[in-house]
Amino acid sequence: MSRNSFLFSTIRSFNDAVARSLVSERLSTAPYLLQQFDPRVRLISIFLLILATVFCRRLSILTFVFALSVMLAIASHVSVWSLVKRVWVIVFVFTGLIALPALFTTSGEILVHFPGSLSITRQGLRTALMLVLRVETTATLTTTLVLCTAWNRLLRGLRSLGIPSELIVIAAMTHRYIFLLIETANQMFESRVSRTVGVLGWRQERSITTQSAAVLLSKSMDLSHEVYLAMLARGFRGDIRLLGEQRLRVWDCLGLISIGALAALVIWVGR
Amino acid sequence: MPPLFELQDVSFDYDGVPALSRLNLQIERGQQIVLLGANGSGKSTLLRLLNALCFPSLGSVRFEGNLLTRESSQRDEFMLTFRRRTALVFQNPDAQLFNPTVFEEIAFGPLQMQWSEAEVTRRVNETMDLMGISHLRGRPPYRLSGGEKKRVALASVLVLDPEVLLLDEPTATLDPRTQSQFIDLVQGWRDTSKTVITATHQLDIVEDIARSALVMEAGTVVASGSTSEILMNSELLLKTNLIHAHRHSHNGIVHSHPHSHRHSHQH
Amino acid sequence: MHIPDGYLSPSTCVTMYALASAGWYSAIKRTKRLLATRTIPLIAMFAAFSFVVMMFNLPLPGGTTGHAVGVTIAAIVLGPAGAIVSISIALFLQALFFGDGGITTFGANCVNMAIVGSLVAFAAYRLIARSSSSPSRRVFAAGVAGYFAINVSALLTAFEFGIQPLLFHDAHGTPLYAPYGLQIAIPAMMVGHLTVAGFAEAFLSAGMLSFFQRTERALLDKGPISAASTVVSPDINRLWLALGLLTLLTPLGVLATGTAWGEWRPSELAARMDAGSSHASIPSGIAKLSGIWTAPFPAYAPPFVRSPVFGYLLSASFVVGILLLSSLLIKSVAGRRDSRDLVS
Repeated sequence: MSRNSFLFSTIRSFNDAVARSLVSERLSTAPYLLQQFDPRVRLISIFLLILATVFCRRLSILTFVFALSVMLAIASHVSVWSLVKRVWVIVFVFTGLIALPALFTTSGEILVHFPGSLSITRQGLRTALMLVLRVETTATLTTTLVLCTAWNRLLRGLRSLGIPSELIVIAAMTHRYIFLLIETANQMFESRVSRTVGVLGWRQERSITTQSAAVLLSKSMDLSHEVYLAMLARGFRGDIRLLGEQRLRVWDCLGLISIGALAALVIWVGR
Repeated sequence: MPPLFELQDVSFDYDGVPALSRLNLQIERGQQIVLLGANGSGKSTLLRLLNALCFPSLGSVRFEGNLLTRESSQRDEFMLTFRRRTALVFQNPDAQLFNPTVFEEIAFGPLQMQWSEAEVTRRVNETMDLMGISHLRGRPPYRLSGGEKKRVALASVLVLDPEVLLLDEPTATLDPRTQSQFIDLVQGWRDTSKTVITATHQLDIVEDIARSALVMEAGTVVASGSTSEILMNSELLLKTNLIHAHRHSHNGIVHSHPHSHRHSHQH
Repeated sequence: MHIPDGYLSPSTCVTMYALASAGWYSAIKRTKRLLATRTIPLIAMFAAFSFVVMMFNLPLPGGTTGHAVGVTIAAIVLGPAGAIVSISIALFLQALFFGDGGITTFGANCVNMAIVGSLVAFAAYRLIARSSSSPSRRVFAAGVAGYFAINVSALLTAFEFGIQPLLFHDAHGTPLYAPYGLQIAIPAMMVGHLTVAGFAEAFLSAGMLSFFQRTERALLDKGPISAASTVVSPDINRLWLALGLLTLLTPLGVLATGTAWGEWRPSELAARMDAGSSHASIPSGIAKLSGIWTAPFPAYAPPFVRSPVFGYLLSASFVVGILLLSSLLIKSVAGRRDSRDLVS
């Protein structure tokens, strides 16, 4: 049963990825805090706050920025529960795992002594806390941005900020293809799993995987070629033209300036 | 007045595998033709040649007397007009859905035609109303059903108001209702000056969408005539693998005769 | 191998963004120049593959994570420029949607995986496959190139990670960013990649090349890079040259001090630095280093230029430079030996 459950969990995690981007559709049109601002302003603001987090050298200020990012998320109607599920637990586990040894390896003032020359130092604790807090804060900020902004507005915002159109188109296509790949892979997995009875042997599983992978690849390459033809057929000649963004409103400028000031303050106080 | 499309002795192969051989064809403006053929008969390749998406290994393809070659495809002015006036709808709608939302997808063509943004927006809204997909404007492609995808794909080419429509298996994978909506659309073009070439192997819709038909087999045209004539020629249809004969039963009676699996009749 | 926000100090991030920008700029120029417009959907397809491949990763305590990247097959089919764009886009989407890799560290992640990864994979593939038209030889080359490229990327990542506690800590000796020195970071990263991730990439690259040889011959023969491949692009050459020159700026005195990297303990260093340069127990090597670095700069130069920390940063670039120069060397040796395009 364990081998089949690997397949199932792979399917589930793929579906999860698909589901994730769906939520952003609902939130991105809702009238909450972050949604009020032009996507460019959102991009720059979140980036400034992330920058402030990385510059911050004091644990107390870092905690303040974390609290701020949570409030921003809540004000934009991102539920705390979804933050916990998506970001905080994962980051805590991953980063925690990575940071854990630092408690013991960083030399300095000893706080807790364990038998066998292992000890937790004050410096180690501070380091681990700062690392985890930084990652949690920046992850919260990024997730809030993505959940509150429709993908196409994000791309258009980047275009207005100067990223070349070709890259924007490639990014958009990649995003599209990822879901196509996932859908096709899902379909292939599900049809295989439902057709096999009982536990699959190692060899069978490997050959199923390689066959499926080959089919997936084939379909993907064909699709890529067809997309190229479809682009040509509608007039693409090498220089892509995309829709532009509207002008910034006073509201947007004010928001941007305040966040900028806040970030600068945090960096100054937290240095 | 040269014919709209003229193919002379056209051969085409994919990496040595022949797809079209010594094809001769003339298509006049305003004709509405159906290209009949089983899978692999070369229908898709022919449509792509007509749309200058690939070029013949031998022979020539002309549009209004102009040669369509790799070289002529470099001439910007010519190609810009050509691309606006001709449209190809691919069999796989996913090939035509590479933008983040439906609105942007439909806007892609007009934007590449260098129209102003105001004009683009107006045209896109018009087309979405026409196709009944205005409610899908902000949807990403992966949240569209099969039928919706096809409609968006159609809209993305119709927005340019093309004179020539090349449709590759347009009703494959469509449910009956969407299929009939599509047929209504094509019938709406019947008395306009639009040239519509539909490639399909679905015999049951053929009479509804075109008056003349071409039958393809192994990369050449083996027959042409009015659709009703062709449909009555069971021998031809059997030979070109458009229908088949095998023992089957309905109403409890077992028999065998040529048929395609989309019909019902009484015995 | 993705480095999240918070593991690297702002100055490291800025340096890496600068390096990444140079890489992106020449890659974009090169792909634009080829103007094989069919590369747009192709690049996107490889980016999507890479994205999916990178989703399968394992955390490596003491380092970040270990996984395959898919950069090797991208470099072989699209060429290094196309692969740089492709993998960077995959990394961008991962940073945004899945929090895999940070925003401030995006430059670093791209340098490690997309830029250095592509260049090393491409160069290694060329070197091993040479002008051989034997498909199995090329599949083998793809595998080895993949293994090598992933490990170089991992080493670079470990390096960036590991110098953080050395350079960025507060007055009490607390590391402010990544807390493990090179002596932990390097083994932590390398063990996972030398044993698992490297082989994953190797099998992926070999498998995909073998698949493409069977089903997409046209892509390999007339693909985007076949046009001008044996001629090394002047842009990429310039990039390597620039980075190579960085090594000349590095105070070689670091090596001259005779102090091994791994033996520096952050707190010891911090305590000593804080005590001021007149403290008697500063390792003589460091004192020498400070001297070498600060001496040439007149008093009116900004303070950060005169600081030993800046010198250490430049030493870091030395390692990067060495890695890239080796790739350049490999590539030019391979280039001299064959006169035809290797990928066909």
